Order: sequence, then C-alpha cells, then structure tokens
Amino acid sequence: MGLLDLFKGKFVDPTYPGVHLGGNAITTTLDAVVKWGRKSSIWPMPFGTACCAIEFMAFTASRYDVARFGAEVLRFSPRQADLMFVAGTIVDKEAPVLKTIYDQMPEPKWVISMGVCASSGGFYRAYHVMQGIDEIIPVDVYVPGCPPAPESLITAVMKIQDLIKAGRQQKVPQRATHLGSNGEAVNDRRLRREAWADEARSRAAQGLPPQGVLALPAVAPGKDEEEPRG
Amino acid sequence: MASAAPAVSPEAPAKPAARVLMEALGPRVLGVCDERGDLAITVERGAWVDAVRLLRDRPELDYRMFLDLCGVDYLDREDVPERFFVVLHLYSVSTRHHVRLKTPVPEADPKLPTISTLFLGANWFEREAWDLYGIVFQGHPNLTRLLTHDAFVGHPMRKDYPVGRRHPLKSPREMLLQVPEGSEQMVVNIGPSHPAMHGTFRVQALLEGETIVDAEAEIGYMHRNFEKMAESRDYWQIIPYTDRLNYCSSFMNGHGWALAVEKLLGVPAPPRAEAVRVILSEFSRIMDHIVCISTNVVDLGAISPFFVMFRAREAVYDLLEACCGARLTVSYVRIGGLGADVPDDFAARCRATLAACRESYDAADRLLTRNIIFVKRFKDIGVMSKDDALSWGWAGPCLRGSGVAYDVRKDHPYSGYEQYDFDVPVGTVGDNYDRYLVRMEEMRQSMRIIEQALAKLPAGPVITSDRRVALPPKAEVYSNIESLMNHFKLVFEGIRAPAGEVYGYTEAANGELGYYIVSDGGSVPRRVKVRPPCYNNYQAFPHMIRGGMLADAVATIGGLNVIAGELDR
Repeated sequence: MGLLDLFKGKFVDPTYPGVHLGGNAITTTLDAVVKWGRKSSIWPMPFGTACCAIEFMAFTASRYDVARFGAEVLRFSPRQADLMFVAGTIVDKEAPVLKTIYDQMPEPKWVISMGVCASSGGFYRAYHVMQGIDEIIPVDVYVPGCPPAPESLITAVMKIQDLIKAGRQQKVPQRATHLGSNGEAVNDRRLRREAWADEARSRAAQGLPPQGVLALPAVAPGKDEEEPRG
Repeated sequence: MASAAPAVSPEAPAKPAARVLMEALGPRVLGVCDERGDLAITVERGAWVDAVRLLRDRPELDYRMFLDLCGVDYLDREDVPERFFVVLHLYSVSTRHHVRLKTPVPEADPKLPTISTLFLGANWFEREAWDLYGIVFQGHPNLTRLLTHDAFVGHPMRKDYPVGRRHPLKSPREMLLQVPEGSEQMVVNIGPSHPAMHGTFRVQALLEGETIVDAEAEIGYMHRNFEKMAESRDYWQIIPYTDRLNYCSSFMNGHGWALAVEKLLGVPAPPRAEAVRVILSEFSRIMDHIVCISTNVVDLGAISPFFVMFRAREAVYDLLEACCGARLTVSYVRIGGLGADVPDDFAARCRATLAACRESYDAADRLLTRNIIFVKRFKDIGVMSKDDALSWGWAGPCLRGSGVAYDVRKDHPYSGYEQYDFDVPVGTVGDNYDRYLVRMEEMRQSMRIIEQALAKLPAGPVITSDRRVALPPKAEVYSNIESLMNHFKLVFEGIRAPAGEVYGYTEAANGELGYYIVSDGGSVPRRVKVRPPCYNNYQAFPHMIRGGMLADAVATIGGLNVIAGELDR
C-alpha cells in the first residue's frame, strides 16, 4: 500500500470538490496531514524516577517493542520531545525539576502519568510525596498499576495517538486549584477539615456560600499558579 | 524495658565487646543486653565517642565496618529514660560479629558528638538523623538537610509530626559547589534528571579542563519515606513497601524483611518455603546484576549487551509472574513462608529460565570481558581501597571488589545457604573492572546455587502453621470455629510481635541489607530502619571521582548500582 492510498479514505474530505484526481494526487487539509505525521512519530521523553522506570525499560526493549507504534525515539532532552512519560513517584523536592522540564518541552506536548504514584501518590501518603503530578503539570493519560504492565503502557500510547488525531491536549494541571495541593492539608484528614473550615470562614466574611473541594472549578492558571507548586 | 535501657544480662559480658567496654568505661556503660543473638550495649552520651573508638581500634574487637546509624523516638514511653536514642551498628570482618551501640539523647538538649571523624560513612547517616529527628551532631562538617528539601520545616520522623504534612518547595538549591574567585574552573551539574544518573540523584563536579577537582552529591529526590509509612502498618502490610526499596530485585527485600520479622517473632519458615526463597532470591540477584552491568555499559555507548541481557530478565519476570502474578513488585513472601505454593511445573520453568540466563551471560561475557574498549574504560578507574571501603560501609559486590571476602550468605548463613556449595569471588585492585568481574562471577555462582536447590527442593507446606502469624487455609476457616477465630483475630489485629528489638540482615544484590526493628509489643513496629547498601556506596562516590576525568565518573557510577528507591527510601 502506497502512501497516497493511506491518505485516501483516511483524511480526504469527500465533500471537497476535486478529490478524485485519478489516484496520483490527493487533496486534504494540511492540519490532517500534520496530525497524522505527529501521531505516527511520537518522540517520548522518559522522566523515570522509580520502579515504573524499570518497567518502562521493559516496554522499550525487544519483547514489547514500542517501535511498532512509532514511538521508539527516546529523547532525554525535553527540547526534542513531544510526549513525557512520568514514570515513578514525584516528591516535593523533585517537583520544581519536573515543572521546569515540562515547561522546556515545545508545544504541542502530551503527558502520560505512569503508575499510581505519579497519578495520585499511590500508597505513599507521606509528608514528602506529591499526591499526583497533576498538581503542577497537566496530564493527558493516567495509567493505573504499581507498576503498570507494559501492555497498559501500549494502550496509553494508543490513547495519546487518538488525542493527537483529535487535536486534543490537556492545558491545565487538573488539581492545581484543589485545596491543599500545594501545601500541608492534602493528606491529613484533620488538617484538611481545618483548612476547609478556614476557607468557609473567609468566604463567609466575603458574603459567599461555603465551597468544598469538589465544588472548586478547574481554572486556567493565573500568574501565581505558573510557579512550581507542591 | 529491654529495647531501650537494657539491664546487664548475665551471659552478655562473656562477649568480648561488652567485656572490653565495661572494663574501660566502667559505670559509663548503662546496660548490656544479648537478645536473639544481637549484642546491644548502651553507653551514656559522654562516652559515645570513646566507646566507638574502642570498638574500632581494639585489635581483639576490630569493628571496622560501618553499617548503620539512626535515631529512634520513644515518645510516650514512660519506661524509657530519654525521648531519643541514637543507635549505631558496626561489624567486625575478622571476628564476624555485629554490635549495636546505643546512647540516650534528651529532648531538651538533643546533642551528640559526631563520629564522622572515626568512620567516613557516618557523615550522611548523621545528616539524616539530624534531618529526620533533629539530633544535632556537634563537630559535624556539614550538618544540613539531606533527604528532605531546604524549605522543609520540622523533623518528620518524630512521632508528633503528622505523616501527611507537606511543605511546598518553590526553588531548588542551584549550586552545591562554588567556583573559586578568579579561576577558570567550571561547575557541571549532572542530575537529578539525567540519563547517566540511573534514577534521581544529583552530582555537581568542579572541573579544571576535563579533570574533576571537587565533587558534591545530593540525594532525596525519591524520599517517600518507607520508614515513616512502616510505623503505621502491620508487619505484613510492610511487605509491599519493601518491594519498592531495590526494585530491580524486589523479591530479595521481602525475603530480608520476612527473615527479620521471623527473628523477632521466633517463628521459622518451613524448609520448602526457604528453598523457594533461595531460588527466587538468586534469580533476583542475577536480574539485578543484569540491570547494573547492562545499563552501565549503555552509558559507555554499548547498547547490544543491554538487549542481550534483558532477554534473561524477561525470562525471570515470566518465572515470577507464574509464581505470584506480578512481574516486578512481587510481594510474594509472607511472614513465616510464602503467599502461595509455586506452580506444578516450577522446576521445569526454573531450568528454562536458567538456560536463558546462561545464554545471556555467555553472550555478555563474550561481548564485554575481553573487549579492549571496555577494559580500557574500566581498568584502574574508580579504585577503592580495602580499609576505606570498610570505613565507608560498603558491602556486597562493591566491597568484595575491593578484596574483602564478606558475604552474609557465607559468614552468617540464613534460609539454608549452608547446604549449598558456592564460592565468594573477590577482587584484588578495587577498580570498576574488579566490581564488574565480581558481579559476573556472582551470577555464575547464583546459577550453581539454584541448580543445587532445585535438585533437593523439599516437599511440604510453604507457610508456617503457627496461627499467630499465618492465616489458616480457607477450607478450615469455613468449616471450624477455631480457624475462623484465628482468621478474624489475625486480620483485625495483625501479627502481634513481642517487645524488643532486632537487626535482621541478608545478602541482597547490593550487599548487606539490614532491617532494624524496634517493637513495643503491638501489631505495628515503633521504628523500622533499613540499612540501605547503596546509600553507603553512593556516599563515597564524590570522593572517588576527585582527580579523575568526567567521563570516568559516568563509568564509575553505573558500577556502584545506586537504586533511588533504596538510596532515599
């Protein structure tokens, strides 16, 4: 199957006049071609910190062979990557590093949060562990597991391909505005309740109704949210 | 209470260390105790340095190997005289004895003189004890935060610190070293996110041309604190956490933990469980050495050994998956045995895995051992002398590479290692090449052990029948009331350990992996301290690379096999 055949049917808009030019030429939108190229040659950057990084190595090695999905060109420089795998626990000491590296990646960019530690802190409800990287950077696909099997990672890469094809991309750290995400109250239930009570009091002083953690909308990061949090 | 301020037990002074300290220090020795084979000596704070020096320098004692130093918080324990204790573990290679030295440190004045002048390895351990417990070590050269970050407030391992209280870090520490005024030297930062740092740790090197003049390391980028988590978990709930210490060979960590708790409880595992543990531990050792060697040479530009050796790793993954369903973080051991019996075709699977390992080993051996580029990059680089290696507290293949034939499997056999015939390889120079050769030979010896263990794999149960420790079989739970009660009590209360303390140690892939457990007699431990072997190895790294080339530093770090999960815990 030639390249042109590949384009045919997939990207050709049948309502567009002048499509059928005898098989030697096609017409499509530039946007569709760019997305097709982008999705078929993802350059991932592994941000591996812990056990998940070992399983990520298995995912790139011969048996699972990520090259089948066009994503085998691992780049350790964020400047040359468009997909970041955050594989492993991110602790508060590492958070500014992760944020810096994410900011250094050129647009458009996607993030896979590999494993429960990166997604939610996992079973480390501890004083030094970030409870999910979406406190500071946006995440496109979460992969559960401790660590996830390589098959799950393959699924995640395919989901990223779907997102690229659809032109969708997460722009906002999902939990950046959640109460306690940059501070102390996130795990300890008692502290969290105190923080809620403080917030309710301050809202009452302004004449606003109380608002819990679930009711807070995710908003685009303002000036002060752009700094690394957590 | 035995764990904190032990009275002098009658048989203890017979041990030379206790006798010497009691003669030399007189009433400044507060207690001596010989519990479960661990000799523990408590001295008063003023005698701390004298006691450590006596233990190290007396030729009949010869405790020259530094193992571990940690703090313990006895908050709310009425029977313990002071809130904090500092606990030191030392080992003597010549007499083959461990010793635990303790001293009380009052909360009002938490100060203790440093011993980092006596043991090179004590430096980071004292920084850690300051960081986590707030114990000030007077005279320490650089008493700053090590595991937590600079914006951290408080000392998190104290019992009154809430486990979930976080502190945001806005800006990390930029410079660890300063360029001298007016010089043309430059600082190169490597890590914490860098392909040559396998994991997340950081080195800064001050360069004069290509030569490293000075170097400084920083860790803590993976500090999720297993030890704090363990203080609120049952003994068996801690097993999954141990898997994530050295995740390249997670089975061995669980094995060590189970043995330490079994030592505390006095409940041995049945012979079949021990034999399976030995087999899977040795496969894990092969797997760990594969990661170490293959990623080390990837850093030097050789990618083929990586692909060749990872084939064997996948074979071991398959074996572990057949036994317990997980590939990497297995959680297969239980206190008193194993979680389930091995599959019926276990022996056949093991032999197939062995064949894969042998094939990979031979291929890597042909690719590397006499490869002139490899040899030139490795020989006489990163040399560590025998005495320094002991003082830093090195263990495992790195220590044996420096010529000290200390292997826990040989010197203090556990899990039936005394039944198997194997050799302990040692190096002569202590360079990178020796450490590589030791690892390669250990892989061969591990295969020998596995073959012997397979040949006489005993039949029988894989978990103890002691109902205070192990759940009864499901069929019994549904059919008789006693088993139902046992099941109920064990699930709700957990394993209840006797009060006391224990240091359990095994030969993990990186060396002596020790678990120091302090129990108050409940179902959760008061304190769990891991002696992480690569913590000591990495501590020496900035000192090893001084005077060498920057490219050699990359070759050296891979050979130390630093695993972030074990380093920062």
